[in-house]
Amino acid sequence: MKGAQHFRQRLVLSTLSNTALRIDDIRADSEAPGLCDFEASLLRLVEKISNGCGIEINETGTKLRYKPGILAGGRNLVHDCGTGRGIGYFLEPLIILGLFGKKPLSITLRGITNDSRDPCVDTFRTATLPMLKHFGVPIEGLELKVVARGAPPLGGGEVVLKVPIVPKSLTAATWVDEGMVKRIRGVSYSTRVSPHMANRMVDAARGVLNRLLPDVYIFTDHYTGSESGKSPGYGISLVAETTTGCILSSECAATHSGASELQLPEDLGTQAAMSLLQEIKLGGVVDSTHQGLLFILCALCPEDVSKVRVGKLSSYGIKTLQHIKEFLGVQFSIKPDPATGTVLLTCVGSGFQNLYRKVS
Amino acid sequence: MADEEAAHKQHRASRAGASAGASKLKKKKKNDRGPSTKQSNPKAFTFRSAVRAKRQQAVSAERQQRKLHVPILDRATGEPPPFVIVVQGPPQVGKSLLVQCLVKHYTKHSLSNISGPITIIAGKHRRLQFIECANDLNAMIDAAKFADLVLLLIDGSYGFEMETFEFLNLLQVHGFPKVMGVLTHLDKFKDVKALRKTKKQLKSRFWTEIYDGAKLFYLSGLIHGKYSKREIHNLARFISVAKFRPLQWRTTHPYMIADRFEDVTAPEDVDANPKCDRNVTIYGYLRGTNLKKTMKVHIAGVGDCSMSAVTLLPDPCPLPSAAKKRGLREKEKLLYAPMADVGDMLYDKDAVYINISDHQVQFSKNCEDAEKTQGKDGDVGETMVKSLQQSKYSIDEKLQQSFIQFFKSSAIQSASDSEADESDESGPEKDDAMATVSEDGRLRRRVMFPNEADEEGAAEENGDEERMVHGEGEGEEEEEGEGEGEEEEEGEGEGEEGKEEQENEENEDGKLEMGNALQWKQGLMNRVGASKSNVNLMQVVYGHVEASSKDKDFQEDISDSDEELFKPKRQRHQASKVPFSVFNLSFFGLKAFLSSGHVDDWHNQEVIEAIRDRFVTGDWNKASQRQKGEVEEDDLVYGDFEDLETGEQHVAAENHEDAERRLKKLALRAAFDAKYPFLSHFCIDILKEDMELQKQRNAAELQDIDATTRIEMEGFSVGTYLRVEFRGMPYELVHHFDARHPILVGGISKSEESAGFMQVRLKKHRWHKKVLKNRDPLVVSAGWRRYQTLPVYSLEDRNGRHRMLKYTPEHMHCIATFWGPLAPPNTGIVTFQNLSNSQPLFRITGTGVVLEWDQSVQIVKKLKLVGYPYKIYKKTAFIRDMFTSELEVARFEGASVRTVSGIRGQIKKAVKAGSGKEGSVRCTFEDKILMSDIVFLRTWTKVDIPRFFNPVTTLLQSRDTVWKGMKTVAELRSEQNVSVPVNKNSLYRPTERQPRRFNPLQIPKALQAALPFKSKPKLSAKRKKPLLESARAVVLEPNERKVVSLVQQLTTIQNDKAKKRKLEQRKKKEAYTAQKAKEEEESKKRRREEIRERHRSQAVPGRPLNKKPRRNV
Repeated sequence: MKGAQHFRQRLVLSTLSNTALRIDDIRADSEAPGLCDFEASLLRLVEKISNGCGIEINETGTKLRYKPGILAGGRNLVHDCGTGRGIGYFLEPLIILGLFGKKPLSITLRGITNDSRDPCVDTFRTATLPMLKHFGVPIEGLELKVVARGAPPLGGGEVVLKVPIVPKSLTAATWVDEGMVKRIRGVSYSTRVSPHMANRMVDAARGVLNRLLPDVYIFTDHYTGSESGKSPGYGISLVAETTTGCILSSECAATHSGASELQLPEDLGTQAAMSLLQEIKLGGVVDSTHQGLLFILCALCPEDVSKVRVGKLSSYGIKTLQHIKEFLGVQFSIKPDPATGTVLLTCVGSGFQNLYRKVS
Repeated sequence: MADEEAAHKQHRASRAGASAGASKLKKKKKNDRGPSTKQSNPKAFTFRSAVRAKRQQAVSAERQQRKLHVPILDRATGEPPPFVIVVQGPPQVGKSLLVQCLVKHYTKHSLSNISGPITIIAGKHRRLQFIECANDLNAMIDAAKFADLVLLLIDGSYGFEMETFEFLNLLQVHGFPKVMGVLTHLDKFKDVKALRKTKKQLKSRFWTEIYDGAKLFYLSGLIHGKYSKREIHNLARFISVAKFRPLQWRTTHPYMIADRFEDVTAPEDVDANPKCDRNVTIYGYLRGTNLKKTMKVHIAGVGDCSMSAVTLLPDPCPLPSAAKKRGLREKEKLLYAPMADVGDMLYDKDAVYINISDHQVQFSKNCEDAEKTQGKDGDVGETMVKSLQQSKYSIDEKLQQSFIQFFKSSAIQSASDSEADESDESGPEKDDAMATVSEDGRLRRRVMFPNEADEEGAAEENGDEERMVHGEGEGEEEEEGEGEGEEEEEGEGEGEEGKEEQENEENEDGKLEMGNALQWKQGLMNRVGASKSNVNLMQVVYGHVEASSKDKDFQEDISDSDEELFKPKRQRHQASKVPFSVFNLSFFGLKAFLSSGHVDDWHNQEVIEAIRDRFVTGDWNKASQRQKGEVEEDDLVYGDFEDLETGEQHVAAENHEDAERRLKKLALRAAFDAKYPFLSHFCIDILKEDMELQKQRNAAELQDIDATTRIEMEGFSVGTYLRVEFRGMPYELVHHFDARHPILVGGISKSEESAGFMQVRLKKHRWHKKVLKNRDPLVVSAGWRRYQTLPVYSLEDRNGRHRMLKYTPEHMHCIATFWGPLAPPNTGIVTFQNLSNSQPLFRITGTGVVLEWDQSVQIVKKLKLVGYPYKIYKKTAFIRDMFTSELEVARFEGASVRTVSGIRGQIKKAVKAGSGKEGSVRCTFEDKILMSDIVFLRTWTKVDIPRFFNPVTTLLQSRDTVWKGMKTVAELRSEQNVSVPVNKNSLYRPTERQPRRFNPLQIPKALQAALPFKSKPKLSAKRKKPLLESARAVVLEPNERKVVSLVQQLTTIQNDKAKKRKLEQRKKKEAYTAQKAKEEEESKKRRREEIRERHRSQAVPGRPLNKKPRRNV
């Protein structure tokens, strides 16, 4: 394989399917060639939760050879994610890998909890984790706790992730009914800035959303002291829950756009609300950022038919489908539903089982 | 016989003992009862005793629970593959004859030799595949892995043999399929009583091994060298009604039993190097679960290999059509056994061969009259064949005579010349001869399918089939090379499929236009076109994987949006120039949507109104309309299906009424369940229901997907007939191929491909005489695989520590850890030390189950570090020789130590360099230790587990040779004549202990004086002079003297009496002992005689002595 794209997916799928991976030409033509620090950090994280994996990187970091070990899981692990990417970047592989480990995973991740690139930890908590429920993951052990917020550029946030193991395998899901949005919830956080910022974002978001739905409640979450990380920042994460239990999310975080000035909180609130409405318009049982995860979960099911509906296939989703075929040998049947402008995906799972678990 | 039965003994009621009492009581009760008023109300006698009622309830509940099993989901749909019936037994028990008789019974076909699987149609819905299990441990292991039903043949006249029990144990470990016993050789019994007794004995032993009531057949004897028709008929009926439980391992792994095995290596290569790697094809029914093309497979006895091509073939032995009739017609009683050289049709990927035996071959007359009468109306093919008949010379001869001019100027060259030049060319021709006429002179003719004919017309003239097949494969490979859009595995599949895909590509690219020649492909296209919109999306995702990955810059662009941030500005600029070529293939003209992508203006009221109905505040009706598409699909879910457990056939609800009624029923049932919760289902029923629902959902979802996509999605389905090609197999596989040893091809999942450490709960088999030694090589059969490995045995301590064992416990489980290709947890394993057939003893050494996988395992053994004190203070001592360096000491600081006398202590610190011996250490103890004490430190050291495994490759050697793997140390020693090394220090010596003498306690005089009397030493020193008192004479009074003398006399008398009594007693005892010994001797003699008599009576008279050696149980 070539190039640095979809590094996470390749790593995750290679680990799950137990196939050795070789990536060449990682940013070979770039001015900063080789693996980035956050990718190296991810490799270290994978090494931490697995046993007997082999990682070889050449001098310039443009070539990587990865031989997966067995997923061990474990408790009281700690990983420093660095400031290159947000914690969201590391969470997605972790929850998939953690499900199929030998022991339940509980890990403390330190770094940037919220930024504008990666899904923030609030979205993970409120939208991603409930998604696993549809695939038969025991929801009790699944937990994400935000200990401290960390905004870019310096981070300093901390979250604790607990992932249970699936006893045998996931269960196939038929998840096509998107339902109607019945409530919208959200978290608006601010750290090392005036607590008023959070309220301003909430007001702006409600201004957009209340025209459609009265049941909008956005929590404000202000952090001070040691829990507030090292940099100032604020942002908002919204989730829409439908009558059938689907959860669509959107989020916005303040970024240093060009100048050192942060964006106005009102702008952020509106932007988040609008992108949430956009997601709702597209339809599907998950929003576009969760497509990849959804497809991987479908492919990891037992050899039963899973059927899901998504809005539009995102390019990330398409690439995920290709990677799934490559690593797990699962091909989806993709059918557009012209009436609603959504896409129905059907697949027969790969029959993946948690074989690392010890039997008593 | 009749007399015997008439003279049955009458039952005699016992007159004494407990049962007699019980019967008396019963009688009494009966008499008492009579027409009493008490007992007339039946409702009154539900329960009299609460305790008893409770006990009864418990018993019945337990019985119910014992029946329950966790349901195993069998995902197979459609026609099941033929059930495999393995016929197993010790040699010369009549296995082949039984198969022959059964085949004869089913198909009216007499088989002469039985080699390979024999597939027959046994009924309208049932196909059977008979396989005779060779008398070889390896064959038995494999047979145990694929048998659906085992006919266990037992020589009734001899009794059970080791093979039977070995096989039963193998079956138990690898999932217990159905077993039926068959007793043969019963005509050897002359005495009916003995026969009946033997039957009974064998049956009870058989039942204890399997379950009470297991079916055991008796084949009473031979009639004209065959088993009696009636008995075979009965057996066949039992086979035809047998139900097969799905087994866990097999429902999760696809497998195939080779029906047919062909070597398809290019003949030139074989000629050039007979030991070259071969390409082989294996044909067989797919069983277990669906097989994906990318899957790796394990060929039992060869190893793991990847399939280079899998092709779906038409079923060579299809079930009859489902017309309503009572039985099978003669025509439908098919038999398919390509390895046994019966059955007339042979199906290949692109050809069908018809075998016609010599006497049936009729050549049409080649007289020209016939031709004339037909004139030009005759078929082209017919005339061609006839013209071929007329030729007097064979092709070879013709070639010899023909001349080809390669270049204008060159000399004309004859075929014979060129042959002399290139010996390679003769290869295919030879092979051709082989292909058409098989060894026994049977003619084998090839049937061409019409659409191949035009493609291969030119090649056909050469008649070079083998070569052509090969050439085609090459062509496909080339196609792959060029069209990068194609996936490799697809390209190698059916030719048709490949073409289809190519066609699709062409359509998109628009580069190639459809020519007239491609018109036939249009039909194909139309078929695919049924789901045309589907194809578009599918192609965007799957069709252009390779193409897009070539365009690297573009890839960067569509990758995570964040990648851009890390790109230098210059590059980003370039990237933005690249057109969105893939998305021009628009599916509804949609672009890549990213969360930060295009957002509508949501302040606009119209835009908002557009999604109003997606909210609960909107119009619910419209929203429900939106979901309508799904509702329709949901209806499909409950389409036709068959409840496989009950055999019930559900048909899709034809009209609305049915559906409504069904719903009503469900509602009623739910209401009932709610009302009577205690009657609600067990969780097993719920599980079963869920499984059934899922199965229906699967079927419904997959039914409207076209066949090719379906194969891509779920793989080849169970029950299909497949041809699997393997490239680069070792030549020994072909060279030593023996049809009597069926080839098992088992699919392995991704995670089972790699090797690692496996922890197995193992128990030495109780029939194996010795315990197993740590690190002695052991052959393990786990999953599909057989391999030799070096296990390390251990036991788990209470604190979770795995402690190494030198030998397996005798009657207990232990944990064996070894390196090998992984088998998933809960897989049964069985171990052997030696696979040879010439062992008189039980060959299975142990059985177990896989507990866990890992890449590293911690097994420890005890280590005692010993040191000696060289300087002792009060409670501190300096110890030397325990460690060799300061570094070592640092590792053990704070560790507890102990002396031999039991004084505990702790390691403190290493002594300073130079102040003592290197590695000396300061310790503190709870008490002062002695210089003679030895101090030791108890610790644990990790044991390395050898990373070794050696696949058992029995298919790559002649079946007569014994597979040789790694030898045990004991074997090596006995071979090399090396004695076991003895460490002198480890030998036991008689311990000589000097009695320890303690010095007397000295108490200072001053102290003694100060002590109270109680504590003063009472032992005074011995006097040298006797005391005055003892020297004094005593003079008695006369009266006193009298008394004394009287007492003295009395004592003397008493003593004398006692003496006499003692003597008498001794005499008596001697006599008694003598008597006892005599009796003992006699009884011993009698007992020995009895045993001898019993043995004499049990021995069956008249056994022939010239039979093969037996391994008796």
